[in-house]
Amino acid sequence: MNKKIFSIISIVLVAMFVLTACGQSAATEAAAAPAEESDTTAVEAPAETASDEGRVLTVWHYESDTGAMGVSWLAAKEKFEETHPGVTVEMDNTRGFEQIRQTASMVLNSDEAPDVMEYNKGNATAGLLSQQGLLTDMTAEVEKRGWDKILTGGMQTTSRYENGVMGSGEWYGITNYGEFVMVYYNKDLFAQYGVEVPTTYDEFTAAMDTFVAAGLIPVATGATEYPAQQVFYELVLSKADQALIDAYELYQGEVDFHGEAFTFGAQEMANWVDKGYIDKNSTSLGAEDMGLAFESGEYPMMITGSWWYGRLMTEITNFDWGIFLFPGNTYNPGSGGNLWIIPENSENKDLAYDWIEATLDPEVQAIMGNAGGIPVNADLTAITDPKVQELIAAFNEFSPGAAFYPDWPAAGLYDGLVGFVQELINGTMTPSEMLDALDVFYNENKSQ
Amino acid sequence: MAKNHFDRSKGYAIYLLPGLIGLTVVIILPFLVTVGASFTKWNGVNPPQWIGLANYQRALTDVKFWAAFRNNLLMIIAVTIVPTILGLILSVFLFDYFSKKFSPMLANFFKAVLYIPQILPVAIAGVVWKWILNPNWGSLNTTLSSLGLDSLVHNWLGDPNTALWVVMVIMVWFQIGYPLVIFMAALQRVDPELLEAAEIDGATWFQKFFYITIHQIRPEIFVVILTTTIYALKIFGQIYVLTRGGPGTSTIVPSYYTYQAYFEQANIGYGSTIATVMTLIIVALTFAFIRLQVKQEFYQEEN
Repeated sequence: MNKKIFSIISIVLVAMFVLTACGQSAATEAAAAPAEESDTTAVEAPAETASDEGRVLTVWHYESDTGAMGVSWLAAKEKFEETHPGVTVEMDNTRGFEQIRQTASMVLNSDEAPDVMEYNKGNATAGLLSQQGLLTDMTAEVEKRGWDKILTGGMQTTSRYENGVMGSGEWYGITNYGEFVMVYYNKDLFAQYGVEVPTTYDEFTAAMDTFVAAGLIPVATGATEYPAQQVFYELVLSKADQALIDAYELYQGEVDFHGEAFTFGAQEMANWVDKGYIDKNSTSLGAEDMGLAFESGEYPMMITGSWWYGRLMTEITNFDWGIFLFPGNTYNPGSGGNLWIIPENSENKDLAYDWIEATLDPEVQAIMGNAGGIPVNADLTAITDPKVQELIAAFNEFSPGAAFYPDWPAAGLYDGLVGFVQELINGTMTPSEMLDALDVFYNENKSQ
Repeated sequence: MAKNHFDRSKGYAIYLLPGLIGLTVVIILPFLVTVGASFTKWNGVNPPQWIGLANYQRALTDVKFWAAFRNNLLMIIAVTIVPTILGLILSVFLFDYFSKKFSPMLANFFKAVLYIPQILPVAIAGVVWKWILNPNWGSLNTTLSSLGLDSLVHNWLGDPNTALWVVMVIMVWFQIGYPLVIFMAALQRVDPELLEAAEIDGATWFQKFFYITIHQIRPEIFVVILTTTIYALKIFGQIYVLTRGGPGTSTIVPSYYTYQAYFEQANIGYGSTIATVMTLIIVALTFAFIRLQVKQEFYQEEN
């Protein structure tokens, strides 16, 4: 009998093991990150001397070597090693973002930390690490080297954090590039149906009506990932002002989710579905599906970010395409790109600053531009590709109205918005119910 | 005599030690930490703040939480009940009829084919299913419309009315091989003399199946039901790949909701609450099941 009870208990424990195996690691992992004391004295960069001999600068990033960032950073490495004889730059991009994100607080707290590292911007990522005291406060160097003149306005927002909330405070990261959301359009289809590039919202809907009448779905999108929520945000922004964006993104004031902008955004998104501007099927399609649909040449437009630009340049061969900003919008989703951060535990902070400077070098930046990236400090005359010039021109038009992304203000809002926008498209939530749900989620989860 | 017995078994106790240490470090301590965290408001960085039962109160009124557990019950149908019944029928068919009528080789071939979904990585099988079910160019919809069945073309995973059912069908496909293989092995263990005796007594095939075969392979049925029920309650990978819980909350399950709370919302407290409730349900179910099985064994031994 005792044996039986024992075996019952052991089987129950085995069962517990099986089911807790994945769930528990999160809590212990998070618990393993002690709050380190914040030592904010910036290390003074010593003059370059022969003592640099044999020094190694470790750089971690997660861009591919053939992408715009990767190519320009390899050029920066060459330049850096020329100007710093004796120093070796060890670049490592074997860890993906997801891997770095999950282990960042532990790695940066150890002596395995790299000297400089690429990291995602935002409250949930760089903001969190700055709050834990794991990142070097770069403010003094930023002012000394004039980086605050290169990154201005909205481009600064993601570099500065106060108590882990972006927008103001000390500098904890520097970005090399920008990104923004725009409308990609198929020039051949526009010509075929006699549609001009729209400049106002009314012209835009008229253009979409033309395509619907011709049996086409005007805008390719996907609602299981970011694209559909960016369409929703574009619609909100068409009635938004700076105060609303500051309130929503930076917590400067109360957000009225039933005010004009959000009401218009939700109502109009539902209208877009009813009028056939976007496909109801998009509730089971993702970003990749959207891109492939546009590349197939069967969709006149796609509303998404500049991160698609380089890929479309190489993959679209059978039609002519172009871009324009969301018609009538002063504000559009977009921001500075990922950040260079310097771990507090870095032993080569002087070299790390020099490294960031090398990546901001106009020549290096021009290389990034020619590879399809959006440089923040390029010599525009050195950009040769007309397609890239078009992109950078649109970026310059965009950048005063950078409105960031709809999922930024609260942890988990990305998934929340995916769900709410899906319900809106499916009609399982009315626009008003959707805004109620967003309101509750936003206020429960926003960073404090 | 009793003392002697005690002395002898004492020598073995030390062999339990490594296992106990592992159990404590890997399971018991993290479980207690999770239970503790479920009483706090904690983002994983700042010191946790004790809030008593507030997370549990929130769960009581959280529509998504209840949707997750309702979906979980439906998952038990798709992962345990349907595959177990189908697996039983199929294994008896393959073992009793097919391999005798045709060839055991062919029966083994079908067994292997039906088992393939079990060895395919979930991520890959999930991506393939998403291709098949893609509303605009997936092979299911294009096949339907090329057959002239345009009225059946559907946004399978994107419509809240069908998404969960489609996921359940896919789960049956994933799971069917497991009971099949176990039951086919079990059937070889059934004493042919019993069946022969019954046949001489004039029992029909169905009588033999219900009164002999099922009773003989009952231990295997228990194992299958227990393991697949636990699997159903923990289900994560398929949901993550196929729907991410959407559209809306129509395919959310507790383990995916826990993941969202931990890693997306950095809400360790609430995530721990869901995990704790899930754990308690599974432990209770497991305990009840094993009690039932032990009782059955006694009953059999006594007879």
